[in-house]
Amino acid sequence: MLSELLQGTDIGGFLLIQDSCTYCGRDLLKSFIEAALNREEVIHVVGFDVSEGELKDGLKSSVFQRLHFHNAFADPLGWTDNSPFTVHQFSSSGLTELLNQTAQSKPATLVIDSLSWILRHVSPTAVCHTLQQLKKGGAVRTIIGLLHEDMHSRGIVGSVCRLATSVITVAPRTKADEGLAKITRRSKSGKVVQDEQIFSIRKDLTVTVLSKPTNFGRKQSNTEEQVDPTANLTFNLRLTDAEREAKEKLALPFVFSTEKKTALLHSGPGSGKILYEPDANDDYDQEDPDDDLDV
Amino acid sequence: MFTELNGILNASPESFTPGEFILLSDRQSDASFLIHHFLSFYLKARCKVCFVALVQSFSHYNAVSQRLGVSLTQAKEKGQLTFLEGLKESLSVLIPQEENAENQAMSFLRDPAAGLRSLYEFVQSSVVESNGGGGAEEQWGPPVLLVDDVSVLLSLGVRVGAVLDFSHYCRATVCSQLQGNVVMLVRCDGEAEEDDEGSQQLMRGLTHQSCLTLHVQGLPTGYCRDIHGQVELCWKKRQSDGQHTPKKVFQFKVHDKGVSFFARGTSSAVL
Repeated sequence: MLSELLQGTDIGGFLLIQDSCTYCGRDLLKSFIEAALNREEVIHVVGFDVSEGELKDGLKSSVFQRLHFHNAFADPLGWTDNSPFTVHQFSSSGLTELLNQTAQSKPATLVIDSLSWILRHVSPTAVCHTLQQLKKGGAVRTIIGLLHEDMHSRGIVGSVCRLATSVITVAPRTKADEGLAKITRRSKSGKVVQDEQIFSIRKDLTVTVLSKPTNFGRKQSNTEEQVDPTANLTFNLRLTDAEREAKEKLALPFVFSTEKKTALLHSGPGSGKILYEPDANDDYDQEDPDDDLDV
Repeated sequence: MFTELNGILNASPESFTPGEFILLSDRQSDASFLIHHFLSFYLKARCKVCFVALVQSFSHYNAVSQRLGVSLTQAKEKGQLTFLEGLKESLSVLIPQEENAENQAMSFLRDPAAGLRSLYEFVQSSVVESNGGGGAEEQWGPPVLLVDDVSVLLSLGVRVGAVLDFSHYCRATVCSQLQGNVVMLVRCDGEAEEDDEGSQQLMRGLTHQSCLTLHVQGLPTGYCRDIHGQVELCWKKRQSDGQHTPKKVFQFKVHDKGVSFFARGTSSAVL
């Protein structure tokens, strides 16, 4: 599923990459940017967390004319007089204006690095509102965002995840260059698919998807194995054909066929009849107490 | 400067990676010996050092640095070291007198909610000044900012967000723009379960911003006379030689004039 997401077939979607202190999701974000650049898409990066040089490190320099970096790293709060981009310019109108500054023929992909920076200064409702408006408006083809999930409360993380069409949560593995990706994908019909994959990112930012984690594999093998109980015994549990026939013919004592039921319940001629005269003390109920039995 | 630590970090005063944000942290232990290491390291590397010292006095750092072979008084006279003595300067804010003009850097004490913009402006003026220096002054290397320590700002009433903004701006100016290094110490005393405690969130935020973290903690088995604790080193970026070695753990012992580092289980008391 990770490879499908890298191919970018999700138009109008919002892909969210969540990471934590233990594993940095920026390499995966750069792989997505690299894959999109190779598909000849126009990418706009709003960079708060890292500088332009650090983000472009590792990307192939031949495709940089389609990558527009908006420098929100140098002065995001406007402490100097000429700030290229401040955090308060993060609104749907501000971003649409920014995208329109570069003439483009087709809608661009917007990459936000990172949403955590914005959530520290802008209220979560405003951020979610902006993201929703960007998704609905036509200026942006897809949005890819990076979120540090250990920097915010669960409510805020949950709200942003709810807006996303795909969420990839990355975590470390015991092997240094491998990562574990938990992917949740919501399709337009409302169907939600979840998956877990182990991946590793090479130096040229291509992602190799390795096998699924071992606990998934173990569950599948248990259900597929059919154990034969009659094998490997010191005595014989198997039946010959004659024995199997006799076994199937046997009528079990408490398994009733319809003929047996009617014979038991309605006694035939010749069998004893019971005549009963109730006493004064008896509480004779005309109803048949066995009426509700389903025999 | 501890030579064994230089070997572990693959750095020497002649060659070290520029543009790095190094985070020193400790939990119920004392990582200040690492601050003394980096202070003497960068002074020996002839860098222009700006030291924001909020927890100890100048004479304390001077005494320890002399044991490591560096004189802070001389560095200050030559103009290599800019020292902000937080303890002394805070008096000028809290008890304003006519002779001492208020140092703007500590003005956050008066209004902690306003943030650390003035402290950042002090740092910016002291590191940028080196580039504009005239020919008469000695030419120093790239600027370095050391902060000891950042968690004390939380106890002075500054919000976690404001401290993270301050560290972001320092990183943008010193690491990105001027290709210098930043070293910050953050201390965490609480237990790991208190998730919404400010110092935990501050440490997480700074870990996201840093490219190398050194985390000092006591031994999990308790106090030991011969081993004073363990250091966990975490590199975030891939190393320049292509290898990805994210974590290393060493144990250490602090001596009078240095610190010895060794792999776990190889202390001289044990072998």
